[in-house]
Amino acid sequence: MVTFKLNGKQVQGEDGQYIIHVAEKYGVEIPTLCHHKALEPAGMCRICTVELFDGRRTKFVTACNYPIWEGMEVKTDTDAVHQGRKLIVEMLYARCPEVPLLQKLAKQYKIKAPRFKKEDDTCILCGLCVRMCEKMGNAAISFAGRGTEMRIDTPFGIQSDVCMACGACASVCPTGHITLAKIKEEFTKTHPSLIPSEYEMGLQGRKPVYVPYAQAVPNTPAIDRSVCMHFKTGGCKVCAEVCQMDAIDHMMKDEVVDIDAGAVVLSPGFEPFDPSKFDNYGYASHPNVMTAMEFERILSASGPTGGHLTRMSDHKEPKKVAWFQCVGSRDQNRCDNKYCSSVCCMYALKEAVIAKEHAGDDLECAIFYMDMRTHGKDFERYYNRAKDQGIRFERSRVHTVVPQDVTGDLKITYTNEAGKNINETFDMIVLSVGLEISPEIIDMAKKLGIELTDGNFAKTSSFAPVETNRKGVFVAGAFQGPKDIPQSVVDSSAAAGEAGAMLATVRNTLTRVPEEIPETNIVGERPRIGVFVCKCGTNIAGVVNVPEVRDYAADLPYVEYCSDNLYSCSQDTQETMTQIIKANKLNRIVVAACTPKTHEPLFQETLINAGLNKYLFEMTNIRNHASWVHKDAPELATQKAKDLVRMAVSKVALMEPLDEAELQVKPVAMVIGGGISGMVSAKNLAEQGYEVHLIEKDKVLGGQANNLYQTFQDENIAQKLGSLIKDVQENDRVNIHMETTLENVDGFVGNFTSELKKDESSTTLAHGVAVIATGAHGYTPDEYCYGKDDRVITSLDLDKKFMEKDTVLPSLQTAVFIQCVGSREPERPYCSRVCCTHSIDNALELKTLNPDMNVFILYRDIRTYGEREYKYQQAREAGVIFIRYSVDQKPMVEVSDTKLLITVTDHVLGVPVQIDADLLTLATAIVPNKDEKLANFFKVPLNEDGFFVERHAKLGPSEFATDGVFLCGLAHYPKPIDEAIAHGQAAASRAVTLLAKETVHTSGNVAKIDPMKCSACGVCVSICPYSAPAFETQGRFEGKAGINPVLCKGCGLCVASCRSGAIHLKGFDTNQILAQIFALNEEAV
Amino acid sequence: MTENNIKIVAFLCNWCSYGAADLAGVSRMQYPADVRAIRIPCTGRLSPKFILSALREGCDAVWVSG
Repeated sequence: MVTFKLNGKQVQGEDGQYIIHVAEKYGVEIPTLCHHKALEPAGMCRICTVELFDGRRTKFVTACNYPIWEGMEVKTDTDAVHQGRKLIVEMLYARCPEVPLLQKLAKQYKIKAPRFKKEDDTCILCGLCVRMCEKMGNAAISFAGRGTEMRIDTPFGIQSDVCMACGACASVCPTGHITLAKIKEEFTKTHPSLIPSEYEMGLQGRKPVYVPYAQAVPNTPAIDRSVCMHFKTGGCKVCAEVCQMDAIDHMMKDEVVDIDAGAVVLSPGFEPFDPSKFDNYGYASHPNVMTAMEFERILSASGPTGGHLTRMSDHKEPKKVAWFQCVGSRDQNRCDNKYCSSVCCMYALKEAVIAKEHAGDDLECAIFYMDMRTHGKDFERYYNRAKDQGIRFERSRVHTVVPQDVTGDLKITYTNEAGKNINETFDMIVLSVGLEISPEIIDMAKKLGIELTDGNFAKTSSFAPVETNRKGVFVAGAFQGPKDIPQSVVDSSAAAGEAGAMLATVRNTLTRVPEEIPETNIVGERPRIGVFVCKCGTNIAGVVNVPEVRDYAADLPYVEYCSDNLYSCSQDTQETMTQIIKANKLNRIVVAACTPKTHEPLFQETLINAGLNKYLFEMTNIRNHASWVHKDAPELATQKAKDLVRMAVSKVALMEPLDEAELQVKPVAMVIGGGISGMVSAKNLAEQGYEVHLIEKDKVLGGQANNLYQTFQDENIAQKLGSLIKDVQENDRVNIHMETTLENVDGFVGNFTSELKKDESSTTLAHGVAVIATGAHGYTPDEYCYGKDDRVITSLDLDKKFMEKDTVLPSLQTAVFIQCVGSREPERPYCSRVCCTHSIDNALELKTLNPDMNVFILYRDIRTYGEREYKYQQAREAGVIFIRYSVDQKPMVEVSDTKLLITVTDHVLGVPVQIDADLLTLATAIVPNKDEKLANFFKVPLNEDGFFVERHAKLGPSEFATDGVFLCGLAHYPKPIDEAIAHGQAAASRAVTLLAKETVHTSGNVAKIDPMKCSACGVCVSICPYSAPAFETQGRFEGKAGINPVLCKGCGLCVASCRSGAIHLKGFDTNQILAQIFALNEEAV
Repeated sequence: MTENNIKIVAFLCNWCSYGAADLAGVSRMQYPADVRAIRIPCTGRLSPKFILSALREGCDAVWVSG
């Protein structure tokens, strides 16, 4: 240790350190232009000059390379020092008058114009670049020339083959003298290029040390070995030197880790199709032609343009944008992807709508498509709304894009629906690229022995939609087939559920239970608050003056202990904090660091380890809300941090220990509906080890599946259904209640009591969870002469004829199908999802029975999504004729004795065509059962169409917002058998996450009613979306409202609306929030 | 309080706007340092009392977001 005086104060530093290091440690600022932490100091810029008194005389030395010694006295803030620095700045400013950094410094030192002759250089010869290049292990540049001729250059001033164009020199250059362009033109022979950021789809560069994206988990930087200079030259290691936690180890090796697993779930996802191979779209050559994934980044607020819609060539705001659908999908000529990618229509629609939101209504959006496939829940409504918002839809496949060189605009030629050739110019073109399985995944599948489909997706059967051909290997997401987020989420739950069923007997055998630490009773104690201010490395400390905030906090009321941590979240700090809490008998803790959304649970864990109730804690965010967003105003950020700490301290003083109610979950499930998804759900629950009660109102199990002939993969449904029914019936854990209805439901998650009624007799059933699988039914049409003639039937009627092997079918001469009967209509504005595939399947079946039969399908858009598309191709190859009709010109049906006369306007000819048919099949809508009674029992919502509304359209498709209630099958939305089965498995899987816990803990942050103040007005009872408040039916406070903490989500709606002030929200109580508001008014000094 | 000498209190819903404020930080978006956020579990928690008392305590503006 070396002790010396710095500005009159006694300071200490390590032997061998330079003055600048010690000054930094003690928060004394010394300006410098040529110093870099990871480089040997050179004393080049001289701005760090300080005054040194060596006991006899005073001299000037440069702080960056003057080693400290015992007893010296250093002054950094004297007039002489400032005069010296001013002279240096003046000279540098004269040399480089155009450099913004020096202009800023000149202004700071009040230099209006230099007294020396102005030159036009931009280099101050600090040599950072030279030292950095050496550090990189290259030494491609150095000082060249002498005296006034001195400059930074390569040997002989020629482009060097030593320079690897890493850009390190440019990254440290303080004046901007060295730019990437200069490196490219003067320094290097190699071609410099940015490292494309994977997250930004290559629209932006990234560093070799990087966090993949802002929300990445884990949010820890990684080193990309393929581009890191250390792995090329052995030099650099700058990252290791600046890392304050010594976390970087360049010697780390890849490891092979063996995991013993009972089941494997494959969810490797997809890769967007690369359209560079299509020369006609000019994607590879023109920056204004981009993929939809790239366009997503342009629209994103965190993207390269900050969400500002501009095109890449000239950063101009586009006025006209076109989307081309089916790029790399439904295409066997130019690529081998015959399947439909399922998601592109919807994402193109979304992008067009958002683009208009960003750029204003003047933006013209046109989508060029083949069939608009909006078959998901609420997607058709979105499509209709997009049309209303003026997005143009052109049914055409564009063949060529011709870039207009001068303007960067793009001219396209296409044939419109009327057959006319049209030229049109757009500012930007977005290619709606399809989903593909990458070669690496195909390779992995081969290694694992997983069978693939023609489209390279994992092959599964309709009745085991997440099971691969290899036992114990399951599949979820786009690797199973192109699909959107909700379907992927369903799959993943289903795969987890199926794996869980396999491993049910060994559940919890590898679980470790943490040691329980007894909680200290602090009730009635005076608050003893501990404040921990985090530096987060330099993330906070680089802007906010952390020691100042710490010292400020020490003077706040009830604060007994204060400290700052380099990284509060690191494991050793956590342990230290536990010790500090115990040693100082702290009973309230404030952590001023990052966001409670990610780190609150961690610190609460620390409190628990220290024997404190975890609710005696408040976290305030001085990183995301201060240092990161006010980096140019360190003083204001420091002041804000003090304010935030003061507010948190005021609140935490009022915090009380809170209880988390624990309740047992009854390990019994009730499944309502004995259709396919209900049975699958019951089967999975039983296989996972739980008692199940399956309630069916009918006499038979199987629901709508009883009416269906075969799946799109040609599997016989009756046969598979039979074995599923048998499985369910034979499973001891499944209790089947036939011809039973549900009369009443009481209770809440973990503890429901339901009243079942069969033949006038009622029984009660206690269960922990419920799965709603009440299905839907076929629409009974009144259009197209249905019911007036036996030859007009529905798709389900035709299936029945197939199952009964109707002898009339092979003798038919002409069969016609009409699609969208009752679907996509104003009274039912949704797509029934299954009918296109169903009709095509049936058309093919008719063609098999009689290849000479004329089969027509009259449709609006063919929606054979995913690999169902192959069926559409097969049907066309088999000679099925597809005629498109528009909704305002629907087909007309007349019944005569001999034939059915069907008139439809052909979309190619544009004239009415008359078909004499023997059979007309109507592809009728799927209509929900709209069970309002059931919805009321469980307090779950129905949408305007009558389908149940899931917890979250994308992320919670198999459960309700009401805890303990789950959803699957047609009651959610129309879906084919494979998806209904996956959904049934998913609902069971989600239910098991609750059942397996055996107990549920409620949050402590719940509302509580003071019955003495309650006026029993009922506002809370009516307003709560979770039905947590209810009037007490017995006891001392009968008639007053009480809150069930199990149902309460702690939103505080009731608290804010209680006119008597009788409700308290624990953890966010009125006095606590008011304390924060009052604390806001006090000024931090 | 700040260079503009104004004071804004923001009542941010834990689930959306508070997360958005976090993300603004992650994205290093720069904005004036006049805002102080109070995290609430839901904007449904916001009693008119809070707005009134914030104004009474000298806040120039109250921002409710959720």
